[in-house]
Amino acid sequence: MPSYETIAFRAQDCDGCMKCVTACAQAKSGADDPAQSRIQILGAAGKWELALCRQCGDPKCVSNCPSAALAKDAETGVVAWDADRCVDCLLCTVGCAYAGITRDARVGHVSKCDLCDGDPACVKACDRGALTLNTAARIHRRAAEREDLFAPGLAACQGCNSELLIRHTLRHVGPNTVVATPPGCIPGMGTVGYNGRTGTKVPVFHPLLTNTASMLTGIKRYYKRVGRDDVQVLALAGDGGTSDAGFQSLSGAAERDEPMLYICVDNEGYMNTGMQASSATTYGSWTSTTPVGERLQGKSTEAKNLPVVMMTHNCSYVATAATAFLEDFYEKLDKAIEVSKTGMAYLHVFAPCPTGWRFGSDRTTDVCRLAVETNFFALWDYTPDAGLTFTRPTGRPRPVREYLAGIGKYRHLSEGQVAHIQATVERKIAHLRRFERTGA
Amino acid sequence: MADAAALLPNAPKTIVCDGNEAAAWGVVLSRPDVVAVYPITPQSSLVEYVSQFIADGTLDAELLNLEGEHSVLSALQGAALAGARTYTATCGPGLAFMFEPYVRTPGLRLPMVASLVTRDMLTPQCVWGGQQDAMTVRDCGWIHMYCETVQEVLDTTIMAYRIAEHRDVMLPVNVNHDGNYLSYGVARAEMPAQAAVDGFLGVKDVNWHAALDPLRPMAIDPLTGGAGGPGPSMFVRYRKGLCNGMRNALRVIEETHAEWGRLTGRHHAPLIEEYRLDDAEVALVTIGSMTGAAKDAVDALRSGGKRVGLIKVKTMRPFPVEAMARALSKVNAVAVVDRAVSYGWNAGPVYQETLGALYRARHMIPAVSVIGGLAGADITDGHFARCIGMAFAAAASGQAPDGPVWLNEND
Repeated sequence: MPSYETIAFRAQDCDGCMKCVTACAQAKSGADDPAQSRIQILGAAGKWELALCRQCGDPKCVSNCPSAALAKDAETGVVAWDADRCVDCLLCTVGCAYAGITRDARVGHVSKCDLCDGDPACVKACDRGALTLNTAARIHRRAAEREDLFAPGLAACQGCNSELLIRHTLRHVGPNTVVATPPGCIPGMGTVGYNGRTGTKVPVFHPLLTNTASMLTGIKRYYKRVGRDDVQVLALAGDGGTSDAGFQSLSGAAERDEPMLYICVDNEGYMNTGMQASSATTYGSWTSTTPVGERLQGKSTEAKNLPVVMMTHNCSYVATAATAFLEDFYEKLDKAIEVSKTGMAYLHVFAPCPTGWRFGSDRTTDVCRLAVETNFFALWDYTPDAGLTFTRPTGRPRPVREYLAGIGKYRHLSEGQVAHIQATVERKIAHLRRFERTGA
Repeated sequence: MADAAALLPNAPKTIVCDGNEAAAWGVVLSRPDVVAVYPITPQSSLVEYVSQFIADGTLDAELLNLEGEHSVLSALQGAALAGARTYTATCGPGLAFMFEPYVRTPGLRLPMVASLVTRDMLTPQCVWGGQQDAMTVRDCGWIHMYCETVQEVLDTTIMAYRIAEHRDVMLPVNVNHDGNYLSYGVARAEMPAQAAVDGFLGVKDVNWHAALDPLRPMAIDPLTGGAGGPGPSMFVRYRKGLCNGMRNALRVIEETHAEWGRLTGRHHAPLIEEYRLDDAEVALVTIGSMTGAAKDAVDALRSGGKRVGLIKVKTMRPFPVEAMARALSKVNAVAVVDRAVSYGWNAGPVYQETLGALYRARHMIPAVSVIGGLAGADITDGHFARCIGMAFAAAASGQAPDGPVWLNEND
């Protein structure tokens, strides 16, 4: 299936202002006439809907077209309409489920979105962030051009996003890299290999659970000394090896701003060894060591807020990321790689665990997205100079119960516990806002 | 220290220093690439000396000031896997904190050198010398050599690199010197010329076998073991390889000391030293800096016609069981003086090793366990005279006391 870019719509952020419609009409006809717009916002306040071409991977408009007037561009993914070939049969409009290609008598022929050569006027006009251009396709195309440095067929659990994360990360950092992955899911899936076989095409090793940042310190400092400063050192560590037992060495490396890229893959506990609680386990979570019974109802304390802890160390760069927002992750990865040439870059990546958190393996990306959209896991980055910047809107979050509802480890929560989590989420966001730099 | 680089000897020279400074000079002459430090009594002045030497340019090395001994050894493991010759020093609680990466170093076959400025272990809370720290980790796969004098500290630090990096060995080495007595005891020491040490140590190549280097990509330490597949045999192969390295080290330690003797004229006993043993009826067995006073006691009793000798253990791991068996075969009783205890054996660790060697020699003589010098206590020539008396009594009666003699119990 060819990849494609598309315009995404967040109905809850739309206020029906119609600026997108006007912008499209202007861009395509030079007038404000909404009939000339290829994007339409329909419905009423509180339930706005989008009528727009999705640039489908398997477009029914194209397969319905008897005259080859519609075609999906293999390079850009845009479904393009050719006026010279169109016989005005309207079969394309029958094929589309999104009202993405329509005929208006005032226009005189079918029309549809062409993504404005990758810079859509409607998205630029939407000042509430309800419309965004999803450019993940560019990322996948870029990644596909680079060598996959992770062995095929490694046995992560079904639905785990760590493999996705690792493959993207390794393709991006490239072969001149030394990878450390302390005990946990990532070596468990075979990254370092078993019995003399390796799972990675770059140098890779098991540190102890406790000393990832220290071992990378020694490696990097030696390469620097011998003039091979271009060797990238990379940690792919779980939350236990980062936030619990590995924290002292991480804190020391952060204090010294050691040049390294440290990625914490946070699945909120010791998921590899049977779902025990770590300091990153969130309040209320069922785990095998914070069980649910008559006397205990999951974890009774809050998670250590490690990204914030790292922000208040001497790191050159700290960011959070979630794989539902790959473009955001890539932007941060680019920054982190650059920063890690001279200082410490810490990326804290949200990694929902279908096995340990008890949700369907097809829901990982949804869980990631909901965590961000409810502000349960906010996306931001931080440098000492720029302060904290939210990289996804936090102003109009969904209620956190929408996130909690689909996850088994929260199944037992009382109304009081849900209210507690909602209050904690709001308090954490307010706390993060204090790190934003306002003004020039 | 402005002209510190000029201190680097172009020719042998004589210095007067304590054992910690002697170790630091041994480090300077061995030219490690990466040094990681964290202070702890009575090691602190050693890492201060090394840090100052790096600050002054006397030693061209990367200095890592890390947040604890655990990270110190971890960073050095990383550096060694990248290709560095490394150095650090610790003792007591610091060694205990270092334990997790410490036990891993021999299995990775990293030829590191680390000084242990030996200190008694907590608790009771104590900052004084004793060998309980080093003795507690004697079975982790590190080579352990104990020094008797300031000069031997300097020389052994350098020799340790050649032993560790020998392709038949490839094991980390602890060069141990007694806290207080050697760390702060000042004596004359001869320093070899840098060029001589460079030639002696040869070209460094520490990660030919296991590297974290993008030019030679490999996985370091994949999971092994388990009940099926290639796991069990692979694990055994690694373990046996480490044991073979230890066995080879006995030969390499002897060769290295002989070569050092040819180079410098200083012939230290490599494994054990036999002192006035050939016609002896009984012997003391000693380890470390206590040996000086013990030799004085032997000399004094020899002057009085007593046929007594001494066996000093320098290399505790690998334990030189054949050499020890040969030496023990010459006497009819021994008193083994330990600066540490083996809990549960109610004796000292060197005593246990001595019993093992006696069995190897098929030489069933009475052996007295003596424990002294704990927590910085002095073991005097008077104490040793008492030990020799107990050895003679044991030889006469054919019986050794049941349980150890605690030398400083009534001091």
